[in-house]
Amino acid sequence: MSQIILSLEQATKLYAGVPAIEGVDFELREGEIHALVGENGAGKSTLTKVMAGVVALTSGVMKIDGAVAAPRTPLEARQLGVGMVFQENSLVPTMTVAQNLFLGQERFYNRLRGIYIAAQQFLQSLNFDVPPTAIVGGLGAAKKQMVEIARAVLNKAKVIIFDEPTASLTPEEKKYFFDLVRDLKQRGVSIVFISHALEEALLLADRISVLRDGRKVVTDDADKFDRARIVQAMVGRDLSNTLYGVRKATVRRAGERILTIQNLKMAPMVRNNSLSVFAGQITGVFGLVGAGRTETFKIVAGVLKRDFFHGGEILLRDKPVRYRVPAPAVKAGIAYVTEDRKLEGFFETFSIARNIYLGLLSKFPRGRALLSAREQADSGKRWSEQLKVRAIGQGGRVVELSGGNQQKVVIAKSLVQAPELIIFDEPTRGVDVGAIVEIHEHINRLADEGKAVVVISSYLPEVLALSDRILVTRQGKVVEEFSALEATEEKIMYAAIH
Amino acid sequence: MRLGVFREFALGLLGRGEATIAVPSFDGALKPNQALERAEILAELEAPEDLATDGATLFVADGPRLARWEAQKLATVRVFDRPITALACLPGGAIAVALDGREVRVYATPEAAEPRATFAGADMRSVNALAPAGADALYATDGSATRDANDWVFDLMERGHSGRALRLDLKDQSVAVLASGLRYAFGVSASDDGALVSESWRHRLTALSPGGPAREALTHLPVYPSRLSAAAGGGWWLTAFTARTLLVEFVLREPAYRKRMMAEIEPQYWIAPRLSSGASFKEPMQGAHLKTMGVVKPWAPPRSYGLVVRLDAAARPLYSLHSRVDGVNHGVVAAVELGGWLYLIAKGPRRLLRLAIEGLATEFSV
Repeated sequence: MSQIILSLEQATKLYAGVPAIEGVDFELREGEIHALVGENGAGKSTLTKVMAGVVALTSGVMKIDGAVAAPRTPLEARQLGVGMVFQENSLVPTMTVAQNLFLGQERFYNRLRGIYIAAQQFLQSLNFDVPPTAIVGGLGAAKKQMVEIARAVLNKAKVIIFDEPTASLTPEEKKYFFDLVRDLKQRGVSIVFISHALEEALLLADRISVLRDGRKVVTDDADKFDRARIVQAMVGRDLSNTLYGVRKATVRRAGERILTIQNLKMAPMVRNNSLSVFAGQITGVFGLVGAGRTETFKIVAGVLKRDFFHGGEILLRDKPVRYRVPAPAVKAGIAYVTEDRKLEGFFETFSIARNIYLGLLSKFPRGRALLSAREQADSGKRWSEQLKVRAIGQGGRVVELSGGNQQKVVIAKSLVQAPELIIFDEPTRGVDVGAIVEIHEHINRLADEGKAVVVISSYLPEVLALSDRILVTRQGKVVEEFSALEATEEKIMYAAIH
Repeated sequence: MRLGVFREFALGLLGRGEATIAVPSFDGALKPNQALERAEILAELEAPEDLATDGATLFVADGPRLARWEAQKLATVRVFDRPITALACLPGGAIAVALDGREVRVYATPEAAEPRATFAGADMRSVNALAPAGADALYATDGSATRDANDWVFDLMERGHSGRALRLDLKDQSVAVLASGLRYAFGVSASDDGALVSESWRHRLTALSPGGPAREALTHLPVYPSRLSAAAGGGWWLTAFTARTLLVEFVLREPAYRKRMMAEIEPQYWIAPRLSSGASFKEPMQGAHLKTMGVVKPWAPPRSYGLVVRLDAAARPLYSLHSRVDGVNHGVVAAVELGGWLYLIAKGPRRLLRLAIEGLATEFSV
């Protein structure tokens, strides 16, 4: 058995008291390719970030070459021989390939020609076809990845971690990437890679570890896995004693077709996506990260734009619409409740009532000549009561609220617009259990009132508990539809990754 | 005029408006299944075309032959000199037939020697559906003024828009045009205040009421809708003879290509919808696939398809019965309900099919 190069023992990382990973034991052997798979939020990224020094463990021990190591920065991790290849994020787009390669290693005086020659020789030694003088911003995804890999090898990394390396690659580029990884393995480098594509994990990895809800479920040789075993390990949770323990016995019948999306395109995230949303129903949308769910509905709400040429069609009540900004979409009765409430959801230093009132004002794209303090107070009070927003006082700022109550304010801000189509994007992310129940109740009430409701969620039990029909997205389009009565976690996950 | 040309060019360039090559998805009530594949095969026929029922007996139009389904077999009632293109049972035991799309005859009984009324002329060219309109009248759809009933694919490729919905008065034997300029009218049924008409090439159902404006009852269908028949408990059964595909939509927006294809290629190999497929390797696309990460995945759009949609009284889909690309019962052109069974004609494999209605709503409603 080959030597253990990196190990984690009882690794736990808490974010604000909530465990992202908990008691994880992990071993990486010398010269092996180790795949990490799991649902969104399973803890894969946190685990790799710990290894790469991006975040520090709350408790537990990491060892590199048998010695305890606790890198506090990526630079420290790099000095210990651990490099991480992010998804195109860590290169400076305005600099050349050579400059990016030697970034952080500058001496007092750098001769540009010298850097280019060194980079050329180094890239050739790796058999990478990337010109060292090319500006990184102009390179394709695969070439950028080559530069990232080259940089990791240049830093004499013994361990290279890839986070979703193939997400933005074409099939040809993927094949080339696989060859590169195998070549690195031949050189004795150990590889950890996160992938949502199980085929890739099965094809490339020597061993596979499956994470679920922050814990490691199983590690085994890749040839002892098949897709069914991985899916079972990814989703096989016991929900009987939880909020999501009760399965739906009936589903709401579809009413009028409110939204029709036909062959919608927004390269590279949304690819020929088609779906319908009906009144009086909750349409659940599930997909792994990068499946284009959020982007599709942001286009509907005018937050993003579809492709300029042949971008497909969106019909609201069978009439074609194209919103370039959110205001006309709001006016037409579309509300989008964002997944990133802190950035896009509210003004944190404003009061609850003022935030809700701003939601109402956005229904009037040209604004209002006069603002009414009474209307603001009334709407704030009414919606705070309806959604049970718990604040210290009426004038309390949103920043002072808990995550669950902040989310309720974001929801109230949209519902005050009296929309016909409400899109909830990850409605209970970072929300406490008590608030989840109340938010779910309200979403159900909206559907009972005849509104068309879309719930985008990465949490399978939530999708199953809320939805009347479930759409599964993969690689930018809907690939499967289930009635809530026939859907199971396994079926949905199978559709999402195949 | 110039502005129109410029606009058309701009839309074509941007792929917007009329030039949007987009097809709605089969989702919600139209979610695909293989229900039609499990239908019982009652008979394999020569040239089945239409079905009708008087509430007790099922009549089948098979080429020029009018047959009755009784004692688990088809019994010939009479044979005409031309193929039957549409069939309807009228109140009081009368039966109406359209012959070769150019003539409609109404007989007091199916066996009656002489017709009670005959409608010919009035520019009838491809009458493809008939339905009773009260006691003394009939609704009819005339698919195209330029192409015969069997040449519907030519009408599609020529982007025909000469279809009509007609009302045939049995008393004075007059023909009233309810709507014209339709893009292949193919299917009609009486509704509360008029008629519901299928417009195949516009993928929609239109509600026509006497004296009132036409109203879109169901639009943006991912299929080419065809005949309608009343369903027990209100609503209708709508058949769709095949599904729309991006490829065909693209070809329909390329006049030069279409013209050349029609001039140089045999019609059975056109990039066009078909009622059945798999007869020849020369057919475009049907068998294509993609190999991704070692897994073979089908991607080719269906060339033929089988579909029946159950509509409610507001013409909204409740559920649907499909035969997908790997099925056989494609090209469904007629469906009637009788005694708890749904009888169907799958024109692709030339079959008369039967499916028990009980349990379908529970199984396929989404």
